[in-house]
Amino acid sequence: MQSKMKESDPILEVENLSASTNNLPILKGVSLTVYPGEIHAIMGRNGCGKSTLSKIIAGHPSYNITNGDIKFLGENINSLEPEERAQSGIFLGFQYPIEIPGVSNLEFLRVSTNARRKFLNKEELDTFDFEELVKEKLEIVKMDHAFLSRSVNQGFSGGEKKRNEILQMALLEPKIAILDETDSGLDIDALRIVASGIKKISNAQTGIILITHYQRLLDEIEPNYVHVMSDGQIIKTGESDLALELEKKGYEWTDNFIKKT
Amino acid sequence: MKIIEKIKTNKSIDNQTEIQKICLDKLQSSPLPNPKSEQWRLSNNSKFSDFLDYSVNEIDPKFDIPFPNSSQSTIRLVIGDNCQINLIEKNYSIKQISEHTLVKYIKEQISCFDQNENWSDLLNLALNCTKNTLGLKISGSEIPPIEIFSHASSNSLNAKTLVIFLEKNCDIDLLQVNLGKDNSSLSQSTFFCLEENSSVNHGVVSYGENKSNLLNSLNVIQQKNSEYNLGSLHFKFNYARFEIRIKQSEGNAKTNIKGMQKTKKDEQISTYTKIDFHGPNGFLDQINKSLADDKSHAIFEGSIIVPKIAQKTDASQLSRNLLLSNLAQIDTKPQLEIIADDVKCKHGATISQLNEEELFYMRTRGITLTEASKLQLSSYFQEIISFIPVSKDRWDLLDKLLNEN
Repeated sequence: MQSKMKESDPILEVENLSASTNNLPILKGVSLTVYPGEIHAIMGRNGCGKSTLSKIIAGHPSYNITNGDIKFLGENINSLEPEERAQSGIFLGFQYPIEIPGVSNLEFLRVSTNARRKFLNKEELDTFDFEELVKEKLEIVKMDHAFLSRSVNQGFSGGEKKRNEILQMALLEPKIAILDETDSGLDIDALRIVASGIKKISNAQTGIILITHYQRLLDEIEPNYVHVMSDGQIIKTGESDLALELEKKGYEWTDNFIKKT
Repeated sequence: MKIIEKIKTNKSIDNQTEIQKICLDKLQSSPLPNPKSEQWRLSNNSKFSDFLDYSVNEIDPKFDIPFPNSSQSTIRLVIGDNCQINLIEKNYSIKQISEHTLVKYIKEQISCFDQNENWSDLLNLALNCTKNTLGLKISGSEIPPIEIFSHASSNSLNAKTLVIFLEKNCDIDLLQVNLGKDNSSLSQSTFFCLEENSSVNHGVVSYGENKSNLLNSLNVIQQKNSEYNLGSLHFKFNYARFEIRIKQSEGNAKTNIKGMQKTKKDEQISTYTKIDFHGPNGFLDQINKSLADDKSHAIFEGSIIVPKIAQKTDASQLSRNLLLSNLAQIDTKPQLEIIADDVKCKHGATISQLNEEELFYMRTRGITLTEASKLQLSSYFQEIISFIPVSKDRWDLLDKLLNEN
């Protein structure tokens, strides 16, 4: 589905993308274009391919692109490694952030931030300068400094893990952020903190793709476009009111749409 | 029989000591370990021959300690380097054990030896001379950290023996470092006796250079209310065996062991442990980690013996292993022998590869695959290394060595 023409060039173009894992087709011709300043929401039943789409854009090695292209800032990135995509400005916020015992969160954040800064030809930060930067970013997600001395995500509650994801997004300053069910497992207060963090980080130069099941995140962050996925395809695209309609009518309504098409 | 001939024909031991004679006699009936025995069945014969290939050498060339100087008042000793110590301070004393006492103690130990289980000790004591034996009696408190080095020089087989008596209520941090030079074999036997209420944090760090070999045997006797904490690390050996035998002679003692071996290329490094509870209320917490890369082979065999007398024993033994290559091999066998009926014992083993999802997560944050793997491996090491009594400046050296290709 092509977005309406914009003055600037698109950040991300997914063109007729098909992909599989272990010879099992998961994506069956997905097209999506994100321009600077846009927020897109992707909704759909469990197993429809939403998370797979996000992982393939981020470069997960378990998936094979069988057809189509992913272009980032006009360049085809199909063959780029995950770290190259991340360094160039693609951020994936995980549905289930991974725990890495023994690796300090602070060191992990510093190494990640410096990898991105190096790509941007910015000076890499030593421990002291990084501490200053991270202190400022912690405010955005209202996280305690103590989280930095713990191992990455280890022993964090569900909400803390999601806030740690947004903290990473704030530090890496991506061009596009794909947030996979960032709202799952959050209570109302945590959802507000995370949503407010996302809004503070996003700007007219960045794009955001929110993968979600629920309207409640979209009440906090209003999307420009809502896409509904089913069986590895985007079957309907609309504006923010599509999510409200979906909330009222359920996914059965989109099944009817597949039948019609 | 090659080794017996080698010991017999070694000119420098024409005048054999009493201990050497006893051990040589025992070795005559069992010149090589039984390859079918549990302790030796996985040992690589060709590599073991490499160990025995070098000529016996009692003279050490000049030895440069690889660890940087410490700001602390660490006591450093090198076995065989005309090592003399006799420290009597206000709160503690470290004295050399007299030759008579040493011989008496070692003879007592030999009388309890099992021919296969203690083959490495028999070899060590058959080869060793008084000059390469260090015996210490330590007492008191607020003792500075102690570092003891053993090394094998190039193109030779060196044998070093260490005996330590820790007197009642004594508490020490001791780091033992075993180093193998290019093309060398080191036989190291250590005997530790912990008296009542004594406690030791014992680090054993062993690493070699090109084609070096190691037979490292550690025998510990713990009296009641003693605490023995062992952190060990073995890497960069063509062939290495670390044999740990711990006996809680009266029960009511605590043992904590965290060990790791890292193998690369075609190396074989193995750890054998036998923890024997000879009284009630004994405690053991043991974790052994192996990390095998390339075509290497890492082995762990552990046994916990809990006889009827050892009621209320609380013992745990876990073997965790990481395979980094399709051609690497890991063998692991943690086992329990329990007769007592009122005990809490568990054991387990896992073998896995680097966690793909952790790697992907790090890569989506811009960290390269190589860096992400390094971070993951460092975290794997950390649990073990943090248990070794090594100060920060030495840590950097170990970190560097562990990350070498």
